[in-house]
Amino acid sequence: MQLRIERRMVSHVPWGLIFCVLAVAGLGIYNLASASRAQSNPVWTSQAGYVGVGVVAALMVCLVDYRVLHRMALPLYVLNILALIALRFVGHKAKGAESWFVLGPLRVQPAEFMKIGVLLMLAKIYHDDFRPNDDSHGLKRLWKPVLVVMVPFALVLAQPDLGTALMIFLSSLTVLLFGKVRWYLVATLVAGILAGAIVIWNDYVREAPEPRTTIVRHMLKAHQSKRISGWLDPEADLRGSGYHAAQSKIAVGSGGLSGKGWKEGTQTGLSFLPEQHTDFVFSVWAEEQGFVLCVVLLVLYGLVFTLGLGVGFNARDRFGAFVAVGVVAMLFWQVFENIGMVIGLLPVTGITLPLLSYGGSSMVSVMASVGLLVNISMRRHMF
Amino acid sequence: MTHPTLGETTPGRDLKRRFVWLGLAMVAGLMALVVQLYRLQITQGEEYAAKSVANFVKHVRLRADRGLIKDRNGAILVDSRPSFDAFITPAFCTNCYDEVLPRLGALLGWDEEQLGKVTDQVRAARRSAPFHMLPVQIDLTRDQYDQLNARRDILDGVEVVPVPHRNYRTGSVLSHVLGYMNEITSEELSRLNAEGGSYALGDYIGRRGLERSFESRLHGKDGVRKEVVNARGRVIEEFSDKLGEDAVVPSRPGKNLVLSIDMRLQEEAERAFPGAAGAVVVVDVKTGFIRALVSRPGFDPNLLTGRITSSQMAALMKNPLLPMVNRVTGNHFSPGSTFKIITALAAYKTGLYRPETVVNCPGGYRLGSRTWRCHRESGHGPVNGKTAMQYSCDTWFYKVADVIGLDPIAEMGKALGLGQSTGIEVMNEVPGIMPSTAYHDRLSPGGYTKGMALNSAIGQGDDNVTPLQLAMVYAAIANGGTLLKPQLVERIEGLAGEVSERFEPRVVRKVEIPPEHLAAVKASLVAVVNEPGGTAFRQRLPDVVVAGKTGTAQVARLGSVRLKTHQMDYFQRDHAWFAGFAPAEEPEIAVIVLNEHGGHGGADAAPTAKAVFQKYFELKKEDEARPPSRQETPYVPPEDAVPASNDVALTRGRRAPAVGRNDAATH
Repeated sequence: MQLRIERRMVSHVPWGLIFCVLAVAGLGIYNLASASRAQSNPVWTSQAGYVGVGVVAALMVCLVDYRVLHRMALPLYVLNILALIALRFVGHKAKGAESWFVLGPLRVQPAEFMKIGVLLMLAKIYHDDFRPNDDSHGLKRLWKPVLVVMVPFALVLAQPDLGTALMIFLSSLTVLLFGKVRWYLVATLVAGILAGAIVIWNDYVREAPEPRTTIVRHMLKAHQSKRISGWLDPEADLRGSGYHAAQSKIAVGSGGLSGKGWKEGTQTGLSFLPEQHTDFVFSVWAEEQGFVLCVVLLVLYGLVFTLGLGVGFNARDRFGAFVAVGVVAMLFWQVFENIGMVIGLLPVTGITLPLLSYGGSSMVSVMASVGLLVNISMRRHMF
Repeated sequence: MTHPTLGETTPGRDLKRRFVWLGLAMVAGLMALVVQLYRLQITQGEEYAAKSVANFVKHVRLRADRGLIKDRNGAILVDSRPSFDAFITPAFCTNCYDEVLPRLGALLGWDEEQLGKVTDQVRAARRSAPFHMLPVQIDLTRDQYDQLNARRDILDGVEVVPVPHRNYRTGSVLSHVLGYMNEITSEELSRLNAEGGSYALGDYIGRRGLERSFESRLHGKDGVRKEVVNARGRVIEEFSDKLGEDAVVPSRPGKNLVLSIDMRLQEEAERAFPGAAGAVVVVDVKTGFIRALVSRPGFDPNLLTGRITSSQMAALMKNPLLPMVNRVTGNHFSPGSTFKIITALAAYKTGLYRPETVVNCPGGYRLGSRTWRCHRESGHGPVNGKTAMQYSCDTWFYKVADVIGLDPIAEMGKALGLGQSTGIEVMNEVPGIMPSTAYHDRLSPGGYTKGMALNSAIGQGDDNVTPLQLAMVYAAIANGGTLLKPQLVERIEGLAGEVSERFEPRVVRKVEIPPEHLAAVKASLVAVVNEPGGTAFRQRLPDVVVAGKTGTAQVARLGSVRLKTHQMDYFQRDHAWFAGFAPAEEPEIAVIVLNEHGGHGGADAAPTAKAVFQKYFELKKEDEARPPSRQETPYVPPEDAVPASNDVALTRGRRAPAVGRNDAATH
């Protein structure tokens, strides 16, 4: 157990990664100053505070050798599970979901930390269960990681917090695939995705006279079905289910090549965008900054991902590699799902955009994850 | 650390290929986002930019004022008054069907049916034009207005806006001429706007009379003011610079109509006309402009313009006197003896008859096995063309018809405009019937027989004229044979009174009538009014020579017993007519009075004409002494203007009997 920074560790600090992360966070504060102008309190100052808190959290994570986390993974995991269960009884309700503990002025979202807890636990399992000559995993070997994923997934889903549950599922799935599974499982997965796509195409997209022969649609409840059709064609029901998606697309599209200018966005300024400083914050960026700066932002995210994967690539052990993959996968899926939803590629789910969306829990958990990456990178040659 | 596990001795580099694949997969994911961003922002950027503008720009309509309608002296008959109307903008109406509409309904006292109707309208409008204001209730009372304003916080999307409403100051007087307005239909909306109009859903459009035929000039052109609104519909001033240059397009008001009607004369005609149903037409014989026009019963255009309830509508539709039918052009009647001038002119034209030609009247005329009765059972003795007219002796005209047949009469009638539209256009018009032998051969069972000519010669049989047609016939006699087109609008003026369109007298045709024939007929018409024994002798004027003819047109076939008027059922009674012009030497106006089921022409129609002539010449003298200044003031109806239609007596000012019941027993 070492709680100190040694000199030789400094040479392995991933400065590029840190720069990219801080750059995105800085752009986030700049963007929030515009996004929240229609509101009474400018939230960008508190967001700056959260970045500070996040950096401190990241530093603290860096201090602990991640091998300590290896040992602590199981207790941390169990603690998180207990927190999620406790949430059922003492949680704060908002919008019908029990998501927060209220601790004085702070609101803590255990699900955010659960994401990291699951990834640590998965990495531990893959680290411990290593067979050099039999690397790929069949069903028999997968029961442990699958169980580790499914328990928190079910708990978060029951809150209900579909978005976070989805993130846990997708990032874990990425880790599982990274851990190599048998080909027939891959084949099953691909077949499943294809089947889903075919069902959606047949039930919603295909031009056919109503009543068309549907595969699943008739078994869904009306509001569930509406969600899917709202995603496929948000403008069909502008005031209802499709409102968010449609207004968001209008904001993004109207940005054009160079944007309307900082604090000049009309969709933002006139409150047509819902959740414009949290889930839909990217649409503000897109509307006011335009295509070029959107690509710049995506490139920054891409650098964070590749540099993060680089950390895993150079990690000293499998635990470090898997933690890095898990953290990057988690960030990637959040970015992908959030921006995908804002620009109308994916259905609307309540996922925040890492580093850009307003919110303390999200910021601290992302920063802590980045701290983990830095931690792994710094200690890559230490024995 | 004891033994390093295998995992620790094998660094992440063993997983190189997986890392590369994972990295590539993520880059591919980001590329997908970039591609979609490119599609939205670059490919469809303009389209979405337009949508974002449409999002926040609210078009506030600047209504054009509708033109006024004035009489020839400038008294304003129709204008607009402000009314507070409640509107809903569907896009800004959150929880519309569950909360806002029921609350609004409770405040305005709607019943279930009304609420359902409005809900359907809002639903439809949300689909077609969610940002257009939809009127849901017009003419709020002061209380309703205050209540809605006080509860604005719970009525998202509801606005109370002052809207000009049409105000018909004459009440039911001139109602058929002025017309009324009601809501535009969606077909009209798309048609008119395709033709360059500026109408919106819920607008009113002229439905009848002048309102309809001059719609395009009265309507004006709406302007628009653009405003920036936020997602809740609130106007945000600081964004107004996003609107660009044409943020305000001012409205252009409609043009004003100046009628040829003189309200002072109109008032007198209304006052003097005793009937429950009928018409009075006063027309300038030199120009064809109508100076006064009574069509009774009328309706209240204020009521029909948007405020009528279904029970009031039903009452209007069920009224046996048919108030929605204008009596001046919309219905035709047997002209009775007023037709005889045409028979006389036809007779003279053939050369077989001269004004001096004498026929003996024994009280009837025998043709074949039937006798055609003269209205005077004892007969008139020997009468010539002039005295036949003066006493309204039927026998002279029977004889004419027997000799010359129907066709010369029909020819003369058609030349003077009978059996065809006058072309007034403002009101619905029926052409009337001027029967000929061909007509009877075509339509009557058994074809034409001589008896039909005898009936037609005295204005019975199939002869049917509208009061306006008859007015134009008498005007043509008065002016020397020129058939004019009747007109109601003298000119159209702009806002400042500048004339934008002036209507000149229009000649339909010149009818070739030898002057001596005209003079003979005129002389006989003068005798009717001014010589003892004339049917309208009692209605002569002291200082002006009136030429005229009475008429009593049978409605029901005569029975064996002659009944007095009051012994007959209302709808069986004769129509009383008077047609004439004055002064006889240099005619200025022609007056037609039709008192439907009124009784005798001399007693029940001629007095009205007398009063109108008297008033006309009084006014003329007044105006010559002191030319009337154009008074651009709202018209104020006289106290005793027109009795409401249920108070009006069915005949001779007596209180109406229950319609359809024979009131003979009460006399």
